[in-house]
Amino acid sequence: MYSEKELIIEANHSYKRYWQDLWDYKRLFYFFTWRDIKVKYKQTALGVLWSVIQPLLIMIVFILVFAKVAKLSSIGGAPYSVMVLCGFLPWQLFSKAVGIGSESTLANREMISRIYFPRIVIPISNVLVACVDSLIAFIVLLVIMLFLGFLPSYKIIFVPFFYVLTFIFASGVCLFFSALVVKYHDFKAIVPFLLQLGIYITPVGFSSSIVPEYLKFWYSFNPLVGIVDGFRWAIIGRDVPLYLPGLIVAIVITFLTFLIGLVVFRKMEKTFADVI
Amino acid sequence: MSNIVVKAENLGKDYFISHTDANGLQKTEHNFKELITSFVKDIFIPTEKISTEDFWAIRNLNFEIKEGDRVGFIGKNGAGKSTLLKILARVTIPSEGKITMKGKVASLLEVGTGFHPELSGRENIFLNGAILGMSYNDIKNSFDEIVAFSEIEKFIDTPVKRYSVGMRVRLAFSIAVHLKSDILILDEILAVGDNNFTKKCLNKMDEITKKEGRTILFVSHILDQVERLCNRAILLQSGQIVMDSDVNTVLNLYKKT
Repeated sequence: MYSEKELIIEANHSYKRYWQDLWDYKRLFYFFTWRDIKVKYKQTALGVLWSVIQPLLIMIVFILVFAKVAKLSSIGGAPYSVMVLCGFLPWQLFSKAVGIGSESTLANREMISRIYFPRIVIPISNVLVACVDSLIAFIVLLVIMLFLGFLPSYKIIFVPFFYVLTFIFASGVCLFFSALVVKYHDFKAIVPFLLQLGIYITPVGFSSSIVPEYLKFWYSFNPLVGIVDGFRWAIIGRDVPLYLPGLIVAIVITFLTFLIGLVVFRKMEKTFADVI
Repeated sequence: MSNIVVKAENLGKDYFISHTDANGLQKTEHNFKELITSFVKDIFIPTEKISTEDFWAIRNLNFEIKEGDRVGFIGKNGAGKSTLLKILARVTIPSEGKITMKGKVASLLEVGTGFHPELSGRENIFLNGAILGMSYNDIKNSFDEIVAFSEIEKFIDTPVKRYSVGMRVRLAFSIAVHLKSDILILDEILAVGDNNFTKKCLNKMDEITKKEGRTILFVSHILDQVERLCNRAILLQSGQIVMDSDVNTVLNLYKKT
């Protein structure tokens, strides 16, 4: 007892054991994710079935709007619905993670002002919840593809890579906003607006191939473009090209975003309990 | 038994009080441009706060707490007790000074924090235990004891939102006393709950501190509880330590004022 580590808290010094602490509390990621998934389906008649029905319904709307009404063309000989759904996977992950995760610090204000634990667990576990949802949607997509008789290519083994990329990007954005919203509640209004905007500048309902050649590189500065293209390249396969410069830009911006998010979060979390 | 487990040196915490104008807006950073510029400045140039008014909730606190000590912090409202406990619980950081602590710290600053109303008592025991730093195996091993102590066996699978206040207190407290922490920080949590259960809690705490040599830091306005539980008390007034001695001496002084 009392033995092992000595904990030193000093004013104006950043805490030295930050990462060690996070490691000690690692199971909290699991518990918070578990809690949020569990709570979502409490007191619902259909329970976990909602996790399948929900993406299915949204997917149907997407297909109707973009494939049947807008009549845009597909890529790689894939049914338009499949192309749309490939873009839907990372977009759904991102928008859910950022939409809910950005306010997660406020939603857990009671805990933040009364119990110590690494605060970073809160926004990140919201991203994890969105990941679980997206993986379920991924399985739904595979079943749909089976029904349509359009099978994925071997490149599907690269899907995890693009999931990781989406996770890192969503986490960065989430950390950034969830830290700022504690002090400036304005972001409660700003984030949903940005997400609305995001769906128009991200090629979810259409293929990025409709973007003019000279804009292609600049378009990649939205990392979700590279990510969505990557998902399509991996799942549809066939002759869908992979625009490598775009992917590289996406990777660089993803990591940059994560870094900025992390720095801002660590800077602001010190005063969370005082200002929340 | 003379190991020092908590040592505070020159500890202080100030809050920046911002004054509001007629619209209820904060005078600092109330338009978006100022907000952005001040924020960007904050990131790149770590400057001192532009403080129009500083309020020191506590200042220049020095004390040492030994292993197995049960220390009661007493004082009037606004004396800085809760601020001090918040710093010790690591919820907030000090603005001045230094604390050195040894061992595992668990804090209960308010009853039932971290409970999710939609989850059952059973699920909340696991969730709350994890938030308070217990390992999964620890929780599993103490589960039956926690349930028995809280006297809510029958409702363990009912969502906590349907619990009465008393039931929530009992459950939260049972988790807290079964934490395997070396230092337990408790703020006003025994103010609610019926007499019998309070007595049971005090007995349990007596037992764990004496048997397991745990240290307790305790804030309460109910002096009887302080007297019953603590062997030492620290009297705070306006953020300063007025007296730090054995519990009876301090309580006598406090009752006179």
